Amino acid sequence: MSTATAPRPTIDSKFVLPFMNATRDVFLKMAGVTTTIGKPHLKSDTNAGYAVCGIIGFSGQITGSVVVSFSDTAAEKLVEAFAGVKLALTDPDFADAVGELANMIAGSAKKHLGAVASISTPSVVIGKGYVVANNRQIPCLVIPCSSPFGDFAVEVSVKRSPAL
Amino acid sequence: MTFNLEEIYQIASTIWETAIGLQIEPESQDALASIGNRPRSTAACIQITGAWNGAILLDCPVEVARLVASIMFSAEPAKVTVADLQDAVAELVNMIGGNFKALLPEKCFLSLPAVVEGGDYSTRIPGSKLLGRACLCCQGHPVSITVLEKAVNQAAAA
Repeated sequence: MSTATAPRPTIDSKFVLPFMNATRDVFLKMAGVTTTIGKPHLKSDTNAGYAVCGIIGFSGQITGSVVVSFSDTAAEKLVEAFAGVKLALTDPDFADAVGELANMIAGSAKKHLGAVASISTPSVVIGKGYVVANNRQIPCLVIPCSSPFGDFAVEVSVKRSPAL
Repeated sequence: MTFNLEEIYQIASTIWETAIGLQIEPESQDALASIGNRPRSTAACIQITGAWNGAILLDCPVEVARLVASIMFSAEPAKVTVADLQDAVAELVNMIGGNFKALLPEKCFLSLPAVVEGGDYSTRIPGSKLLGRACLCCQGHPVSITVLEKAVNQAAAA
């Protein structure tokens, strides 16, 4: 059960910068979109966020997940910039593109985390009124981002695995 | 890789009985249609990387998630929080993934489960192909377990 006395989670600051840089680089190089990275903050609520999410899992010396989430309009425009073609939210290629963006951000960041880790195939969730749950043992840091096409966020919830 | 749905059913049945003391039974594939029509559901996905790459997706109605959480955390169903039922379904898919991993070649790693809870949403695993989907029944509610394998990019593999 939930306990009110759980210690406040912390996140290794070394894990933050690689994701900020990777986000900026991927959108600039792959979609030609300049993004502005906001001040990261710990995720403190479980309210429903954006409508489109790409989720990547980490395993190995780093465990956890990264969620790249967009509003539906921002996702449509960013995917169009990335894929070069307008895709509807219901198009299977749209989910592929969102997954690929998440995959590239996680893959690019992974190279700079200083650990041997594998990243999973992306999971993509599209809809309304849903919540992507975070592991309560790992803090979740939200990196707010903005672009000319709308706001989005990168949620980083990873830790160094003690078992490896 | 090939496997049959019976293996998934056996894994699920063992976990349901040993971890939460509930029965789970095979359901007709027709029941899968109703899963997408539920007002609220909880989906948990665990990814497997290494010698085999793929994912296992557990999808169940919130009623089952609440029941599992109440048993797992010894709480009354009405007092189970959203976080509790997310943890419970994450633990279930983690156990399913762990058992499924035993069927795979060495060496494979499990990711932490990703859990989505809500109403009107769909989940996709791009770049993967469906290996099988087991439709099960728990306390009268349909539960599905989907196994997906990462599709090999033939161009990249060549």
